[in-house]
Amino acid sequence: MTPLRRTLVVGATGALALGAFAAPAFAAEDTATVSVLHAVPGVPVDVYANGEELIPDFQPGTLTDPLQLPAGTYDLAIYPAGSDPASTQPAASADDVSVPAGANATISAHLTADGTPVLTPYVNDTSAVPAGQARVTVRHNAAAPAVDVRAGGQVIVPDLSNPDEASLVTAAGTVSADVVLAGTDTVAIGPADLTLAEGTSTVVYAWGSEDAGYQLAVQTIEGTHSSPSGVPGGSAGLLDSSVPLPVVGAALLGMVALGLGARRLTAERG
Amino acid sequence: MRPGVRVPVLLVVLGVLLAVGVPTAWLLTRPGTSDGPPVAEVVASASGPAASPSPGLGAAGPDPAGSGGSSGVPLPPVTARPATPQVAPALPAPTRLVVPALGIDAPVDAVGVEPDGNMTIPEDVSRVGWYRFGPAPGAPEGSAVLAGHVDDAEQGLGAMSPLARTSVGDQVQVTDAAGGSTTWQVVAREEFSKQSVPLADLFARSGPPRLVLITCGGPFLADIRSYEDNVVVVAEPV
Repeated sequence: MTPLRRTLVVGATGALALGAFAAPAFAAEDTATVSVLHAVPGVPVDVYANGEELIPDFQPGTLTDPLQLPAGTYDLAIYPAGSDPASTQPAASADDVSVPAGANATISAHLTADGTPVLTPYVNDTSAVPAGQARVTVRHNAAAPAVDVRAGGQVIVPDLSNPDEASLVTAAGTVSADVVLAGTDTVAIGPADLTLAEGTSTVVYAWGSEDAGYQLAVQTIEGTHSSPSGVPGGSAGLLDSSVPLPVVGAALLGMVALGLGARRLTAERG
Repeated sequence: MRPGVRVPVLLVVLGVLLAVGVPTAWLLTRPGTSDGPPVAEVVASASGPAASPSPGLGAAGPDPAGSGGSSGVPLPPVTARPATPQVAPALPAPTRLVVPALGIDAPVDAVGVEPDGNMTIPEDVSRVGWYRFGPAPGAPEGSAVLAGHVDDAEQGLGAMSPLARTSVGDQVQVTDAAGGSTTWQVVAREEFSKQSVPLADLFARSGPPRLVLITCGGPFLADIRSYEDNVVVVAEPV
């Protein structure tokens, strides 16, 4: 429905090198905003940060609300739910993940293209979009080859590979999205109606595996709106508040009279 | 000699009266360009503190404990929810704006933005536009913005044309599509040149609930068929 073809903002970028979080310009606090997504099908996990349990019994397909974490470096690991981290090998881990002050990031626990659990940190783009627009970011988190993402049947993100992402800004509205194997019409996920709310960033994760099925997870980041650039409101001048002509005329007339009188007065004196 | 003196004196007196008195009288009798406290103060006082602390305060909770080394990082409690696509419930859209003191009674249309980024205003000057990307009147947070043309070359005066005469304390009613209504009281009116309208504050999406009414006003620039100013009225819930 909505023409989802505006500016392709970010090309597919790879799994961000750990520590490559971009700190936005407004970063003033000593904290970072971090969300965690569980996109490994079938396995509830415990999430550990620096050896401490951050999220117990984290269910597949769920997303944490944004956490305000102290800026710093984190060793992240996920273990099968209920296991003892001292004696268990983590299902996946990522060490020295740098989370700078002011950053907005999502850590996704997902499968690689060949089905291995992995932790991928993504930086969320929280820059403002123009009034009336919305940002949509697509992240390939599924145990699957490269895909095309379509909206209303049109390819909007071609040839996206795990764990890459692509982002674009488009008119706000609801789109019917699906995911197909790259270069084909073989639908892997969807179609699903996605609401791209004005002034927000919608992050869509394609996740799952062939055995467990593929699905979409959605994260919405608010506060990226802009106000309109102005409010036009009239074209006739019926309520023009400039000084009206009669007033200008009367004032001019008064000045002429004043001048004449003053000249006469000086003439009489002299 | 005697009568001759009187004519110039009379002229001088008349001249002073006309040159000073008429413009002064005009200035004094025309409607003022503002009423109440400065609009920028009214809208900034709330959107500022409310907008910035939300991340800041949220952070302050776990933060004071201090990030003491890698082992003792204080971790906040975590809430999670299914990451399935969701549709946020929307408030009913406003359909009618009434300001009894000004005789304004106009239907309201939901509008967005023009390709140039300006807010869309209904072509029909008897109708008022509600900025549908921002809060609806009655939303718990932020400013609901209603704007209309002050006039049109063919259609004459618009529904919002009396806005420049709004007084602090005037009541405003907004009816919505579900039949509900909200009542507001004007707290400030001000005329801004279009370059200096505090748009970000007037269109705030957080902070206390407000109703913002906007139209055009001020001197008319005939060559570009546009007014120089925006008349802005801010109201708060009763």
